[in-house]
Amino acid sequence: MVDWLSLAVPFAYLGVLIGSLATFASLYRKRKATKAASLEAWFPAHLQRDIYFSLLHLEPPSTSAKEKKAPSVPESVLKAALLRRATEDIKRVMTLRSQKQALSMLLQRGSVGDDLWQRFQRAEKEMEEEVRDVVTEANAYTPNWGQTIFQSANEMMNNDVYRRRLDEHQGKLAEEREWWDKKKTSIKEGFMKELDADFSSSGPAAAVAASAVPVQPAAPSVQTSDDDAVLVEADPSSAAGNTPGGSGGGGKKKKGKGKK
Amino acid sequence: MASEVDLFNEYPLHLDPSSKAISLASSSSYSSAQQTALHAELQDLNQLHRALIALEPPNIPPPPLPINPKRSAQITKLRDSANTAYRKNNYVEAVRLYTYAIEMALARPGWEPVTLARDEMAGLYANRAQAQMAQQAWPEGLVDAKASVDSKAVGNVKAWWRVAKCLAEMSRLEEAKQFLVKGLEIEGKDGEGGKELLGLLEDVEKDLQSKSGLA
Repeated sequence: MVDWLSLAVPFAYLGVLIGSLATFASLYRKRKATKAASLEAWFPAHLQRDIYFSLLHLEPPSTSAKEKKAPSVPESVLKAALLRRATEDIKRVMTLRSQKQALSMLLQRGSVGDDLWQRFQRAEKEMEEEVRDVVTEANAYTPNWGQTIFQSANEMMNNDVYRRRLDEHQGKLAEEREWWDKKKTSIKEGFMKELDADFSSSGPAAAVAASAVPVQPAAPSVQTSDDDAVLVEADPSSAAGNTPGGSGGGGKKKKGKGKK
Repeated sequence: MASEVDLFNEYPLHLDPSSKAISLASSSSYSSAQQTALHAELQDLNQLHRALIALEPPNIPPPPLPINPKRSAQITKLRDSANTAYRKNNYVEAVRLYTYAIEMALARPGWEPVTLARDEMAGLYANRAQAQMAQQAWPEGLVDAKASVDSKAVGNVKAWWRVAKCLAEMSRLEEAKQFLVKGLEIEGKDGEGGKELLGLLEDVEKDLQSKSGLA
């Protein structure tokens, strides 16, 4: 009698301990399972695949309503959709392959979490099934197509990439042309100005040079300042009455040029 | 897990009974970004479908090799006539013909090997660049030569030279030098092309020096 009573305490202790451990374990596992199930998918929705299946499912209502030759989706459309799907699959398989090594290294170093690896593995498994599915579908349309569909899809993908690169190149043409036109006119102006400058130093075309000089951006700098000086002095001498003010202005202008 | 393979998002697609073109039946429930992606995809699909219909009865793309020689022959023909036009100094005509050839080569069905397309385009673009350069249309020549180099980097000395020449003509000497150095790296200094590259590099460097001396 006494024994039982004193034994009840350790048993109760054990019971509580094991019970709490068990509930904790089950809760933990459940949570982990839901977490794994709710993990974000590696890739966004497979648009091409969705379209393919949507097309497949487009058929039934029309076929069941009328006879078998009702306007259902023609096989060639389905084939095209399947090819598009295969192309997208190739892209995804390539990304997975290129990511795998880097990811496993990061995982070993502990730089990334475990669930990222889980997501990756799930994506890999899904892609495997997806590829197998495409091959069986292709074989269903035409025997032995499954062997070449991915070759074709691969070339299609590469060609697509290449065409886009070429488009990029040709897209730059307008920009380059515009740049060159601008540059060409500025070069031409530069030449014209140099010619004008030569004239002005010899005398007769001074007025033309006067209008041209301020516009000129960064042509030979030594010559322009010389021209300026000549012009400023030439101007007041023609308008005799304003000599002091004119010469003062000339002085100021010269100073500004000098600072430059 | 196995059930996941059979899951998919259904899109309300519509098949045009006469043209067999696929389009989106009702697009109200999607965001604009989704819609544009869908439309682009469907357009690609329809285009591919038309390409498939043009094929022979099994209507599947043939394996990448062997290649259908018909298109290649047409392109070669166009290129040859363009070459003769160029030789007769009829540069405008040559550019026009090269453009046709390029368009035809671009329209090659996607499942044909990309290496073939690259080779072909490299040659065509290099030639068109030359015809453009003969008219002193440097920017056009530059773009074409660049496209050619990008299509095929190795064994394409002439295109490298043309890129650099166009750049030098537009007095973008630094860029010209970069391209020349890169071209020499890839093509090597031996052979006639390598020598031409080296010669142009010398000229460009001389110009660069005289330019820096002025400034």
